[in-house]
Amino acid sequence: MSAQAKLYSLFADKLFNVCLKYSRTPEDAQDTLQDSFMVIFKDIKKFKYKGSFEGWAKRVTVNVALQKFRKKSSIKFDDIEESKIPEEKVYVDVEEKEISLNFLLSLINKLPPQYQLIFNLYVLDEYSHKEISEILDISVGTSKSNLSRARKLLKKEIDAIKKLQL
Amino acid sequence: MSKNIDKLFKDKFKESKATAPTEAWPVIQAKLKMRRINRLIYTFSVLGFLGLISFILFSPQTEKTLSKPLQKNTSLKNEVILKDANVKDVNVNKDKLPVSKPQEDSKKLYATITTKKESKNNTTKFLYKNNTKTSKKTPFFKNKLGYAISEKVVKGRINLLGYSLDSLDYSVKKNLKAERKKRRKKKDSIEVEKFNNEKGRRWNVVPVFGALNSGRFSENVSTLGTLRAVTYPDKYFDDNKSSGLISNIYGFNVVFRATNRLSIQTGIFSKELRFLTEDLFLSEFIPDVNPTNIIYNPGVEVRFSNTPDIVGSESVSLSQSILYMEMPFEFKYRMFGDSKFNTNLVGGFSFLYLNKNEIRAKTNTSSRSIGRASNVLTTSTSLNIGLDLEYHLSKRLVLNSAVMFKKHYNTYKDYNNEYSPYNVGMHVGIGYKF
Repeated sequence: MSAQAKLYSLFADKLFNVCLKYSRTPEDAQDTLQDSFMVIFKDIKKFKYKGSFEGWAKRVTVNVALQKFRKKSSIKFDDIEESKIPEEKVYVDVEEKEISLNFLLSLINKLPPQYQLIFNLYVLDEYSHKEISEILDISVGTSKSNLSRARKLLKKEIDAIKKLQL
Repeated sequence: MSKNIDKLFKDKFKESKATAPTEAWPVIQAKLKMRRINRLIYTFSVLGFLGLISFILFSPQTEKTLSKPLQKNTSLKNEVILKDANVKDVNVNKDKLPVSKPQEDSKKLYATITTKKESKNNTTKFLYKNNTKTSKKTPFFKNKLGYAISEKVVKGRINLLGYSLDSLDYSVKKNLKAERKKRRKKKDSIEVEKFNNEKGRRWNVVPVFGALNSGRFSENVSTLGTLRAVTYPDKYFDDNKSSGLISNIYGFNVVFRATNRLSIQTGIFSKELRFLTEDLFLSEFIPDVNPTNIIYNPGVEVRFSNTPDIVGSESVSLSQSILYMEMPFEFKYRMFGDSKFNTNLVGGFSFLYLNKNEIRAKTNTSSRSIGRASNVLTTSTSLNIGLDLEYHLSKRLVLNSAVMFKKHYNTYKDYNNEYSPYNVGMHVGIGYKF
């Protein structure tokens, strides 16, 4: 087994998980995964052993996914002053066991692209607002406001589906 | 049971174990293989190209060592290819042995031989192909297999190689051009997309300051002398030379980025043009009619002439200062650059409003304001062209530097535009984008 194959077998599933969040279809996610591995193999010398390799590979994958995402969707961020955004936590009434990953993925995919991006980056990939603002070239306030809207939209969707089930 | 929405998503994604599709790895392998092949092709193309170049560069030398001696007369010394091992009485001149390996490999041995007998009895095989007429001899080479190749054929092959090299060069250039075009297009589309995404930061306010040098295209004569249309017995200092001086400019620019490449800029500047008229002398003669273009301040009783009234008259120079309030309207076209550094071409015009018009007389010991020029118009215009460099210090701060050439029009009442000044200036500033 070559080193590349070993690396692939170690990280493919984890990185595919990342790709799924930024892709509309599993085929798109596979495409992103392949491109990410090509970049990882090419740029592996750039990994300076600062932090884990998995973290670095995830960042590469997020970058590749973002590039693809931007190409496919036109993104317009809502600009809001930072001071006007309240720090709030959004709660939903759900039985966790009843919810599948596919259901959550479908909810994320339903979000407008700008909300989807920021929700993924902040909540799922644990980027800070400052990092998001740098990656997407937006202000910290814009990142916060878009995240807040994403949360509200997700809650609305979950509540609506719950009502239907009742 | 209520749950924080962030935690709900986070936990579910952590729990989940999505498996990468099995088809992904073969595709990656194929892509890696293609990349390796492409690399190999590239390496071999480069090596081949270099090989061809070196062959072309070094092959004429080989041709020279072969062909030159072949044209010599065979009577005394002949250079031969020793093919026949039975050749006797041959003194091999080792100094003349070629050092290039391919020739050694092909077992071609070059030697200078001294024949003891005349050509009739010579046992060596000459390199000359005997035609019917002995005077006309065509030299030939031998290839590895020992077949004779005429010089013509060798030349033909070299020409063919040259032709192939040309065509290879052409195709490489063509490919490079296409690749560059493709990359430029891609870069442009990324920049356009980035520009479209950038809602804010289209306005840029740049306070600037700088220096400029004034001059005139026409013969550099003073515009302070007598009116050119008037014939006056004493022309005063009409023909005295006038030179531009370095002065300053300051103000601010407001730039609006209209498209990815085009910006519109305006602003307000305070700009001073300065000229120095030299070789004048203080004059005692005060004519009734003022023949010059100077309106003297009340109380100023000195006058100037380009010839001294008396020997030892004090020499003086006149420094003219024209201060304008300038409002430019310019287009800025980004020629090339990236997110950090940009080079722009600037073109446009300016409205100029006269703010200060002063003439100072300077002697070796003192300087005094004596009046103003009567022929400078209150409003004028200028045509501007220049090069602008931008360096992005951060997302909001831009270091800006520009070299501008501005040709003024309608500066003077009684001189045509030839006498209107121009100025070359450079200004720098740090702009704030919002």
